[in-house]
Amino acid sequence: MDSAVAEASKTAVAAAAAQGGRTGGGGGSSGAGSGSSCGTGSSRSGLLDKWKIDDKPVKTDKWDGSAVKNSLDDSAKKVLLEKYKYVQNFGLTDGHLTLCTISCFFAIVALIWDYMHPFPESKPVLALCVISYFVMMGILTIYTSYKEKSILLVAHGKDPTGMGPDDIWQLSSSLKRFDDKYTLKLTFISGRTKQQREAEFTKSIAKFFDHSGTLVMDAYEPEISRLHDSLATERKIK
Amino acid sequence: MQERQLYYQVLNFGMIVSSALMIWKGLMVITGSESPIVVVLSGSMEPAFHRGDLLFLTNRVEDPIRVGEIVVFRIEGREIPIVHRVLKIHEKQNGHIKFLTKGDNNAVDDRGLYKQGQHWLEKKDVVGRARGFVPYIGIVTILMNDYPKFKYAVLFLLGLFVLVHRE
Repeated sequence: MDSAVAEASKTAVAAAAAQGGRTGGGGGSSGAGSGSSCGTGSSRSGLLDKWKIDDKPVKTDKWDGSAVKNSLDDSAKKVLLEKYKYVQNFGLTDGHLTLCTISCFFAIVALIWDYMHPFPESKPVLALCVISYFVMMGILTIYTSYKEKSILLVAHGKDPTGMGPDDIWQLSSSLKRFDDKYTLKLTFISGRTKQQREAEFTKSIAKFFDHSGTLVMDAYEPEISRLHDSLATERKIK
Repeated sequence: MQERQLYYQVLNFGMIVSSALMIWKGLMVITGSESPIVVVLSGSMEPAFHRGDLLFLTNRVEDPIRVGEIVVFRIEGREIPIVHRVLKIHEKQNGHIKFLTKGDNNAVDDRGLYKQGQHWLEKKDVVGRARGFVPYIGIVTILMNDYPKFKYAVLFLLGLFVLVHRE
């Protein structure tokens, strides 16, 4: 009964944590700098297929806000990476992954130590691990809220002259719950002058999806290109 | 890029499991009991506790065990903790105690349940003292125990859901 109780409690807590974990992970998930997926949303064809680069038009459940946002984000990343051939920088994602890995490491240490030295003796080590774990969770939350924010992608554009530091392009987006206005913001940080410029647009998602839920790249791509060019041309003038 | 995404989803799942684990271990540390939450499995303590009630336990060293209190104890060699009331106590000057228990709804005391040759329980057998309870919620645990397939199905679905759903 003891192990059954433990598992039952863990399941109940896990279910509760899953609710909280998902929204926390959601903020980070959309910030995961990976431009690989176009097959998200309602396509249930296998685990890895969801994250492969897909040239087929993307079909999503148009009423599912998060699926819509994911497909818009992924397409925007795809445009920046493929059309302009920028190189993706995984710094933010790696930071997030490292923090999570350290937290899980503390949990595993606690588990193994408790198994080797049954409860009353393992109390100090357990207490240490539990406190460290929650401290790491706190750090992770701060990292997600302040450092990652809603950034989807950080990409480097090589300096045309071949010398000098790279320009940095940052893509971030937001789509409020149950709202149809999608905001995409592109930030350009020049490698040479270190100046920062941004451009954004807010449009209804209805402009980019047709009635069956397929993302129409012909309507979406020009918007992104316009943002990009508006930032790039300013650079040439200055 | 794909590997990162996959690792990310796996880590997400790992984080949820770790959170649950850490909360459980944290409770263990705070209450001082090996099993801070137990489910009443039999009706031997009716009308106080019914089958399926969830109990919260603490096991502080300072709390003395007195006759009439409800304790949760584990018999040597058995895995399942038992929730019964203390009937008799023998106490030495140095604080070492031996006690006898009986379920409220049972006709006889627990000597029949103890190990062969054991007539009294000691402090080391105690898992904790019941400090609070929530009725009926533990029925889920009993169900999951009686039908292990149900338990695996629930855990599997939960895991699958977290791994596949990308928010």
